[in-house]
Amino acid sequence: MTMVHITKTLLESWRYCFSCYEGYEDEAYADFLKTLRREQTETTEAMLNGLAFEDRCYRAAEGKTIRTDAKWREGALKVADVIRGAQIQVPISRPIEVDGTTYLLKGVLDALKAGVIYDVKFLSKSLGSADVYGKWLNCTQHPAYFYLVPEAHEFQYVGSDGEDIYIETYQRDQSPDIHEIIHDFLEFLKTEGLMDVFAERWAV
Amino acid sequence: MAIVRPENMDFSKQTFSAIIYGSPGMGKTTLAISAPKPVLIDFDNGVSRVAAAHRVPTIVCSTYEEVLADIDSPDMKEFETIVIDTGGSFVTYLKDWAFRTKKDCKTQKGTPNTLKQFGYAKSEFMAFTEKITKVMHKNVIYVFHSEEKADKDGNPVQRLMCEGAARNTVWNGCDFGGYLQMINNERKLCFTPTDDYFAKGTHGIVGNITVPVLDANTPNVFMTQLFEKARKSIIEESDANTKERKKYDEVMGEVKKIVDAVTDVDTANQALATISDLEHAMTSKKESGAMLNAKAKELGLKYNGKSKAYVTKEG
Repeated sequence: MTMVHITKTLLESWRYCFSCYEGYEDEAYADFLKTLRREQTETTEAMLNGLAFEDRCYRAAEGKTIRTDAKWREGALKVADVIRGAQIQVPISRPIEVDGTTYLLKGVLDALKAGVIYDVKFLSKSLGSADVYGKWLNCTQHPAYFYLVPEAHEFQYVGSDGEDIYIETYQRDQSPDIHEIIHDFLEFLKTEGLMDVFAERWAV
Repeated sequence: MAIVRPENMDFSKQTFSAIIYGSPGMGKTTLAISAPKPVLIDFDNGVSRVAAAHRVPTIVCSTYEEVLADIDSPDMKEFETIVIDTGGSFVTYLKDWAFRTKKDCKTQKGTPNTLKQFGYAKSEFMAFTEKITKVMHKNVIYVFHSEEKADKDGNPVQRLMCEGAARNTVWNGCDFGGYLQMINNERKLCFTPTDDYFAKGTHGIVGNITVPVLDANTPNVFMTQLFEKARKSIIEESDANTKERKKYDEVMGEVKKIVDAVTDVDTANQALATISDLEHAMTSKKESGAMLNAKAKELGLKYNGKSKAYVTKEG
């Protein structure tokens, strides 16, 4: 039987159906279906900004010069200080058995160094204008990545608005079990009659 | 500068940075000054609400400059902990300081440029904290009032009462941060984050810890004992981690040499075998795989999953 893979993007898209703002549930569900069907989604400005910012951080971490007038320079340099010396953009996968079936859990670590996984997040709102702390408490990413890298003991979300940074740290023992999260995800798919779509579109 | 190896590191004098927040009247100030040899910077006139038996030396100020002068005075030497009460009021003092001393914080009409004010306040807030912890080597405790806000679904969540970016960035360097609340008629300092409040626990300081009821004869030492417990935990963690970290550093040094020597497909495959045979530690195996892949990519090679070897792009 063909193995089916699961990514953090898929799990986060599913989780957003429950964590979105009230009144946006239909939109979140429609977006989840698009992700599940692996349909091309429009690249938004926020996505492009995130990619451009991350690229700037990685360049700075490698010691490359960032122009003094470059957008988000301050934030990129602060993130670079955190991830310097780490391996960048590390693709990783590991089989995971949930409810008697083996899936392939896949991810890309933004940075990995000495037992710590780093994930760079570009924040569209200024750190001065919104409460960010606790933002990633229920995120599926750190439980998934702790499973992918069993040797890692710590996960740091390194958020930046382009000027400052905010770091949210999770230890392995504070993290929920990814098996339970995937179990809930699969139950949701079964309830919604979406298991066939999942098996077909996410076959390895 | 001196290079100190992990096995020679001394954590017996480790200092801490902490946050205590909660509703007014919960006893946050009294709890904060239970830290070792504290001095209270009373931005919020909170000392009057501390029972006389538990009061400690206090910096009472009307401007940020006065605080700076006191902090730099020789009298500070005897204190081990600086309690900032409250962090929210500290930001207000910093905004006032910025308005009075920084030209660009005033508009042409003489009114405050709030964006600039917050910018200076944020930078100074962090610089002040760094000075206490890194230069003066003292513990710092930030006390904040909490305020109830609504989350996306309208459920109440507790947040720090503080303006500007400091309410986020203050968590960065903080070792632990607890939300003080009543649970079953007991005061609990809660260090594990939930959907209702954020918190930060580390070095064995996790979960909900009961804060004892104080009377005039009870020594106020809760935070002193907490710091002691965390320090003990760091020493234990360090003992366990030192060997592993040393091995990690050694193996990563070895890997770097191996990867640097890769020049073509043959040396890449030799490196693949050599790296695989090394005795790895922490995440060195995954990191070295990523290092070798990056070098192979630079040389125009790709990894063939079937043959489990690097091949040239043409091959």
